[in-house]
Amino acid sequence: MKMREADEKTKIRQAYANAVPDICDAILTDCKQGKGKVIVMAETKKKKHVMRYIAAAAGLFLLLGCGGIGMKLYQFNYAVASTISLDVNPSIQITVNEKDRVLDVVALNKDAGIVIGDMDFKGSGIDVVINALVGSMLRKGYLNELANSILISVDNGDPAKSAILQERLTEEVNKLLESDGFFGAVLGQTLTKDETVQNQANQYGITPGKAQLIQEILNTSTRHTFDELAALSINELNLLIAPAVQEIAQVSSVGNASDKAYIGEAEAKKIAFAHANVSEQDINFYKVEMDVERGVMVYELDFTSGGYEYEYDIDARTGDIVKNKKEVDDGAIVQKPQPPKKTETQNTPSAVQSPGTATAGITLEQAKEIALNHSGQSAASVVYKKDKLDYHNGIQFYKIEFSSGYAEYDYEINSVTGEIMDYSVENKKNAAVSNTNSGAAAASITLEQAKEIALNHAGQSAASVTFTKAKLDHDDGMLMYDIEFISGGVEYEFEINAATGQVWDYDVDYD
Amino acid sequence: MFSVAPTEKRTADCDVSALEDCLIAMKQQDLQALEELYGQTCASVYGFALSVLKNAHDAEDVMHDLYVTVWAAAPNYCSNGKPMAWIMTITRNLCFQKLREMQKRSDIPQEDWETYISGNEKMSPEDRLILSESMRSLSDEERQIVILHAVAGLKHREIGKLLELPLPTVLSKYNRALKKLRKMYGGEQ
Repeated sequence: MKMREADEKTKIRQAYANAVPDICDAILTDCKQGKGKVIVMAETKKKKHVMRYIAAAAGLFLLLGCGGIGMKLYQFNYAVASTISLDVNPSIQITVNEKDRVLDVVALNKDAGIVIGDMDFKGSGIDVVINALVGSMLRKGYLNELANSILISVDNGDPAKSAILQERLTEEVNKLLESDGFFGAVLGQTLTKDETVQNQANQYGITPGKAQLIQEILNTSTRHTFDELAALSINELNLLIAPAVQEIAQVSSVGNASDKAYIGEAEAKKIAFAHANVSEQDINFYKVEMDVERGVMVYELDFTSGGYEYEYDIDARTGDIVKNKKEVDDGAIVQKPQPPKKTETQNTPSAVQSPGTATAGITLEQAKEIALNHSGQSAASVVYKKDKLDYHNGIQFYKIEFSSGYAEYDYEINSVTGEIMDYSVENKKNAAVSNTNSGAAAASITLEQAKEIALNHAGQSAASVTFTKAKLDHDDGMLMYDIEFISGGVEYEFEINAATGQVWDYDVDYD
Repeated sequence: MFSVAPTEKRTADCDVSALEDCLIAMKQQDLQALEELYGQTCASVYGFALSVLKNAHDAEDVMHDLYVTVWAAAPNYCSNGKPMAWIMTITRNLCFQKLREMQKRSDIPQEDWETYISGNEKMSPEDRLILSESMRSLSDEERQIVILHAVAGLKHREIGKLLELPLPTVLSKYNRALKKLRKMYGGEQ
């Protein structure tokens, strides 16, 4: 028995010993090259124990500019001089040597793998490779009229060299896109070594280039979080920064990002004005820009009219009103009686009503009715979240919050006059509120119709997609068609109201 | 009683004191010592990397990185009588680093060991059978334990420490693995 085990072990050992490829010479060559640098590296790293050795070695690899197998053949020509990354949604990283010959092309996500396919670029000039990759992105539909932005990030130890290479490639790509019949938008940047950016890139699984771009955006505006921006495509980021691209010093921008996938500013304006029931002539201040809310691209409109300040977020793809807010405009000349908001008597209780008792005017029930009437809802269809007497800056008001379907209403009603001082409606789902109670009926559209609606909405044709799911389902108490399909590595998910054919919810996933 | 013999009860070819000598000589940048260390340990390093990564190309990468790392780290090696355990710990860490890299690139590791061994002319038909059987019918942990014990010559206790498993688990997994391999040997006994 013991003999048998010893015998077996010998056989196993033999098998593995014979399986080993002989790379001893390559290792010896590398170690010879690395002589002298080694000890320094080991001492500069802080990590403990065995990890220190690994960290030291990892640092050494970076120094020699090698990863894995490239290291074996290490010579001058094989050292990485620059790293170039292309981001559209496919993210591709290209390493080149001193002579701009390509050493390696790495797909950083699934889409990138599709773009690269089985092309082998080793040893080709960088221009040829960029040409082939951009061509492939165009052919495979990653760059198109609806999303025409590409980010090029160049990392070379020498900033001057980075800048030259980046400029050349930006020009090259721009020319390529132009010749293909539509106007591309190229963002170029040189990468600066920054550990936080690198960490964020790792954390979110994006390229350091995209991470740096996001960081730059965050530096100029505090409205967004990294989280929110990391999920956006380069085209969407490009639209976001469009109004202020000059402020982002590190980034050079050529061409305009396409907004053809969206309803356009004019349409957004029309929707908001119609909803607010104001006409264009009555507007005395107006501002619109693209923004992102909960991962959805929106047009954010701010305008004032008739003494009120309006704020709308309109879904840039569907035109749904995601958020709207109406407030008494403090800065405007108000034709209504000035709400006593500005009274400076906050700290003298004798001068104001004390909270808790409504001294005059309307009751809570009346306030609720005012809010309901205004919202167009009936008492039966809403759920109250909050209804109480509140008090702010010397005025007493009822704070009433209720929801109906996905819509959340928030009212402040003056307890004396019954005036609506402030209100907001927020749609918690990307669907129009008005249709909340339309789904209980039986399916009146067919599955085929639902598919067509989804395809139209996505701008795809039946021939170019593969359906992964298409079925009738009960969701939120309504009959819905769940439709999912894939096109060019992009996953679309739709919920279509089976009664009305309305796109109830949709999701586009680029991964 | 257990401290005198240099090979102790180790069954593998590698000789503890010879390995330590190599590491000490490597501190003086002795490339020949590295070559000798490579000869003594490459089967264990490669076998272990292959059993974790299941991809010949990545295993080769890890093996390559391992020796460069060991070369760089040799000056820091404190002689403790366990050079093999030290080397295997680094191998394991490099393997995990490799796995993380692959995950990050969403690179689905291709299990290509079969094509690799069928194209390896150094291996006898029996070698191929043993390798493919240990890859196919053993669990990852079982296979790693077998290689660490049978090829690298680590003691079960050392294996437990390396793989962060309790000693009884290592023992039972090892025995179960050998039984599985024996099944395939059944006809030849």
